[in-house]
Amino acid sequence: MLHQNLEWFFPHKVEEAVKLIEQQGVILHGGGTRILKTSPKSIKGLVDVGRLNLNYIHHADNHFSIGSASTYADIIRYSLKTNKLLILAKALSEAASTPLRNRITIGGSLKDFPIWSSLYAPLLALNAQIEIAEKHEKILSLEEYLDSGMIKTKHLIKRIIVDDIPNIIGGVKRFSLIRFEYPLFTIAVVLQVKQKTVSEARIFITGVKGRHKRCKRAEHFLIDKELNDETIQQAEKHFAPKFVSDYKYSAEYKEHTAKVFFTDLLHELKGTLK
Amino acid sequence: MKFPFKVNNKSKDLELLPNETLLHVLRNNDFTEVKCGCNEGECGSCTVLLDGKPVNSCQVLAMSVQEKEITTVKGIGTLYTPHFLQKSFVEAGADQCGFCSPGMVLASYSLLKENPKPTRKEILTALDGNLCRCTGYVKIVDAVEMTAQKLQTNNLEME
Repeated sequence: MLHQNLEWFFPHKVEEAVKLIEQQGVILHGGGTRILKTSPKSIKGLVDVGRLNLNYIHHADNHFSIGSASTYADIIRYSLKTNKLLILAKALSEAASTPLRNRITIGGSLKDFPIWSSLYAPLLALNAQIEIAEKHEKILSLEEYLDSGMIKTKHLIKRIIVDDIPNIIGGVKRFSLIRFEYPLFTIAVVLQVKQKTVSEARIFITGVKGRHKRCKRAEHFLIDKELNDETIQQAEKHFAPKFVSDYKYSAEYKEHTAKVFFTDLLHELKGTLK
Repeated sequence: MKFPFKVNNKSKDLELLPNETLLHVLRNNDFTEVKCGCNEGECGSCTVLLDGKPVNSCQVLAMSVQEKEITTVKGIGTLYTPHFLQKSFVEAGADQCGFCSPGMVLASYSLLKENPKPTRKEILTALDGNLCRCTGYVKIVDAVEMTAQKLQTNNLEME
């Protein structure tokens, strides 16, 4: 339960918001869904990002800029309208439900990174970058953001940058027993393909030991190969994410399932090639 | 404390605490047509429209939506002046206990306003945040399709 003397702030400038969250117990409020799920009493103040003009999706100079206050539904709607950001939109459309997707913001999801997040794997596979508003603004790759431990610090994400790369195909698979359950893991594959041959590959899985993992062995195997049944069969042997056993599933079971999902995904991608 | 809100096209000062969800603020201020189900954002009984988009009001802190237009099911139509979407729910037999109906109607309204000719799959996606324990959903989807048909046949718009 949140404290009933909670203080609200409604800044109009990013700099004001950054200054406000320097105070102890004061955090950012985007859609609010995660705050309500955890509801810590230690929260003394909420800084609403609704007036910071961070709800936008722009396309310019071969990249997309997604304002951090954009909701999952905003991104899905943009994708339907423009036929762009398809990989990301597919992943987001499988997360939560329609009314929640109308509230969950991409910035809030990035900052919290719950283990079940369906957002991280596709963004990592798309080699997304994020712009952070601190005392000194900076842009860094999502991988750097995670590896540097910055995620644990207080900061405001201004936007997410995704390159608009030609000739890419990609897909996302999440494993959950029912539609509403949090996924056990999410695999995202992005391939750059020239005349049926893979020239670049980025493969990520979340929900594994250490939360996220880049599957470099599988990537290296796929590069310079034609995406056919034989390649896919061989690629499975190079895809070996490590999981932790839990009260429901053993690590071996998860690994086996992930391999099945990975090959299914590659077969789906093969089907999209003309 | 009282704060100004816009509910069903009318400005109204609502009594609230800063940590309260929109669901509780609406119910405590006599908008009891907004139903409290799971209180966890999973059942959709508490659905309202925020600037025309369905949200779980139990997952929204009221203070964050003061500048937004809030629509409850009574903002669409009332018992004596029902909207033709609500009539379709009755005609299709899509109401049984009725607890999910306000949320179902609002989610369907928002869908049809944006997409007057939805496919069955699009209807299921739009209603994926609304649970019904009575009907098995078939009649509800029928009601939405029936309304879409009314829109086409009578050249109507969702208002």
